[in-house]
Amino acid sequence: MNVPDDLRYSPDHEWARLDDGRIRVGITDYAQDALGDVVYVDPPAVGTVVAAHDKLGEVESTKSVSDIYAPVAGTVVDVNGDLADNPQMLNQDPYGEGWICVIELADPAAVDELLDADGYRALIAD
Amino acid sequence: MTSDPHDDGPLRHSPLDAAHRRLGAKMVPFGGWEMPLSYPAGTLAEHAACRERAVVFDVSHLGTVRVAGPHAQELLQSVLTNDLGKIGPGRAQYTHLLSDHDGSVLDDIIVWWREPDLFDVMPNASNTSRVTEALGAGEDVTATRAVIACQGPDARSRLAAVSPAAAAIGRFRVGTFEYEGVACVVAGTGYTGEDGVECAVPNAVAEPFWEALLAAGFEPAGLGARDTLRLEAALPLHGHELGPGISSLQAGLEWVVAWDTPFRGKDALAAEKAAGPARVLRGLAVEGRRPPRAEQVVLRDGVEVGVVTSGNFSPGLGHGIALALVAPDVEIGTPVQIDARGTMLDAMIVTTPFVEKKKG
Repeated sequence: MNVPDDLRYSPDHEWARLDDGRIRVGITDYAQDALGDVVYVDPPAVGTVVAAHDKLGEVESTKSVSDIYAPVAGTVVDVNGDLADNPQMLNQDPYGEGWICVIELADPAAVDELLDADGYRALIAD
Repeated sequence: MTSDPHDDGPLRHSPLDAAHRRLGAKMVPFGGWEMPLSYPAGTLAEHAACRERAVVFDVSHLGTVRVAGPHAQELLQSVLTNDLGKIGPGRAQYTHLLSDHDGSVLDDIIVWWREPDLFDVMPNASNTSRVTEALGAGEDVTATRAVIACQGPDARSRLAAVSPAAAAIGRFRVGTFEYEGVACVVAGTGYTGEDGVECAVPNAVAEPFWEALLAAGFEPAGLGARDTLRLEAALPLHGHELGPGISSLQAGLEWVVAWDTPFRGKDALAAEKAAGPARVLRGLAVEGRRPPRAEQVVLRDGVEVGVVTSGNFSPGLGHGIALALVAPDVEIGTPVQIDARGTMLDAMIVTTPFVEKKKG
């Protein structure tokens, strides 16, 4: 499984890319592989205020539905509108075109609570 | 796929298990077996391959109960709903085994009538013992063979490179062919809405036969694609559209019931027919891509009128589809809603199948 070194990870299999007090959020390669082919993404609305581990949205594959959780607390400031027509981006490019939303962090230091790449690799190795 | 009540026990494995793992299949428990959910191509690509080209499914988890002898036809006729008198040796027939108690469909079955006194009865994975019990006869030969479904518009032409005899078997016909000198059985049946055949191949040649099919251009497909394909074709799945509390009449399959023959559960089913079924199976086309799911409630004008039995995204149509058991007055053309975890999905009652086979 691809686990890029420059990202942080939640135990719920979201990734976070920190950039100037915001994080871009998506689901990991491991998560997309476990879900199977994604056919629908229900992203959060811009402006939604979330606490860490709050439900951000839903991802539906041909076999099941899964919740997406906020890795850290903040406000949703952007969502990936292309997913409405191309939800399979989550499978094809989970760390790139398959991003789900951008969250403005309530406390930028909260990112330090997330797993680093080695920590996440250890989590999914179990 | 919903949770599997057979997840707990030891899982059975197909004779093709090693071949699936070599292909990188994702294996899942299903009806007491561990079977491929998908291969690296993924469910959507496998679905498209079946609609456009040709795929192979390992369906060894279907049971084979062999019923032989001079009284075999009479025995099957006394238990199963369909009329074997309408077919004969060398033909296959879809039929139901009903509960005596309420006419529920205990299993839906394909009978392969091989020779005048020889039948292979093909129940669903987990129902094989239920069927042998009801018949009080028959030998469970499931463990001796693989069953491989070759499906898709190019299935016959590709199969002809491996076995011309198997490729030539007509729709709902049953015959035999030899592979590497070993006798195999073939039927012109399937579960995708596409043309194709299903081959019962003894374990000894199962893997070479499977490999030969892949070499002939068949693409492997798993249970995920099998489910989206059968749902588009509106074919019932036991445990969803058929099962405890669901009769042949509710499922809209009265054509499987030969009222002028004896069969188990006839009195209960006749009583239901006289009263009119309390609910009927309908197709629902959903606006948008979000897949409806089994057990979600169907509403008309805000009032609950039924429940989804199977739902998914239709790769062929590009929107959600569902089968649902609804009140009998919910006619085709009725706008309804499905409660998808609190989000109301707008849907329409439509005719089925959702996807028609392309005319060759």
